[in-house]
Amino acid sequence: MRVLASLVREPRWRGTLVAVLLLFALGLVGFYRFAADLGDGLEVTMEEAGIEEGEPVWSAPLGYGDNYAASLLWGVLGFALVLGLTTGYGRLLRKREHPDS
Amino acid sequence: MHLPDGLMHPALAALGWLVALAGLWMTHRRLRKKLDDRELPLMGLLAAGLFVAQMLNFPVGGGTSGHLLGAALATFLLGPLRAVVVMAVVLGVQGLFFGDGGVTAFGLNLLNMGLVGIGMAWLALKWLPLRIEARVFVAGWLAVFTGALLCALELGVSHWLSGGDYGIAFRIALPAMLGWHALIGIGEGAISAAAVAYISQAAPDMLPPHAQREVAS
Repeated sequence: MRVLASLVREPRWRGTLVAVLLLFALGLVGFYRFAADLGDGLEVTMEEAGIEEGEPVWSAPLGYGDNYAASLLWGVLGFALVLGLTTGYGRLLRKREHPDS
Repeated sequence: MHLPDGLMHPALAALGWLVALAGLWMTHRRLRKKLDDRELPLMGLLAAGLFVAQMLNFPVGGGTSGHLLGAALATFLLGPLRAVVVMAVVLGVQGLFFGDGGVTAFGLNLLNMGLVGIGMAWLALKWLPLRIEARVFVAGWLAVFTGALLCALELGVSHWLSGGDYGIAFRIALPAMLGWHALIGIGEGAISAAAVAYISQAAPDMLPPHAQREVAS
């Protein structure tokens, strides 16, 4: 929590956080305009080989959404999840090595 | 380049998991004495930023798209050990929560898009006698291209091992994967270099010490 609090408190990190989310919101416009219907390099290669993606072993609870608003929402949620997990791992590692920190 | 479940031969997927776990364990062991609290905001923000950046595919022509991987950018800004953590968290969240990349293929995905890309980027960043931005561009391209090469080889080996039940034949996988990712790598290199150029101007103190010295000189 201390790291996450410093992200909101310190202007430098707060500015970076806002800038990344703004860039994402803008980039999504371009994605839906130009690339949403296109397969990536591996998907196109699979298509070329006549292979369809099979059923996943694990059913993921979330998705990227299929319209701008849904993708923005899930993207921000994923952003928060990754931020929390990465800093949480770092804090745990630090606490184990330096219990007083 | 996120491999789904069921595409690779199970033995190869299991081998990928073993290699990835070994890489993560070695990273964890080496990182635990080195990590500093002050590094965590940048690490967290970069990981989260790469997660959303990977949602933003861009067209590369021929009805195909690509997206930033970020292995080279993370390696440049954080060094290889922290970059492994960043890529592992991004790929893990994508696979577990968003269904992007199969859970059984997580090991190979981390190997292709994380470990190999980070290794190649680290070598390029360390040894190429070029300006920072040019080095980052080449590192980004190499990270994507070598990841795609490894992925194509895995597809070919899976196909060969299974007699065609898994994977894709070498003659299709190699030219298609390398061709598309040679183009996608240009986007990767350009975005990574632009990000570094921007940070050098706007917030040079976020750069690693050696890069700060280069920018200042």
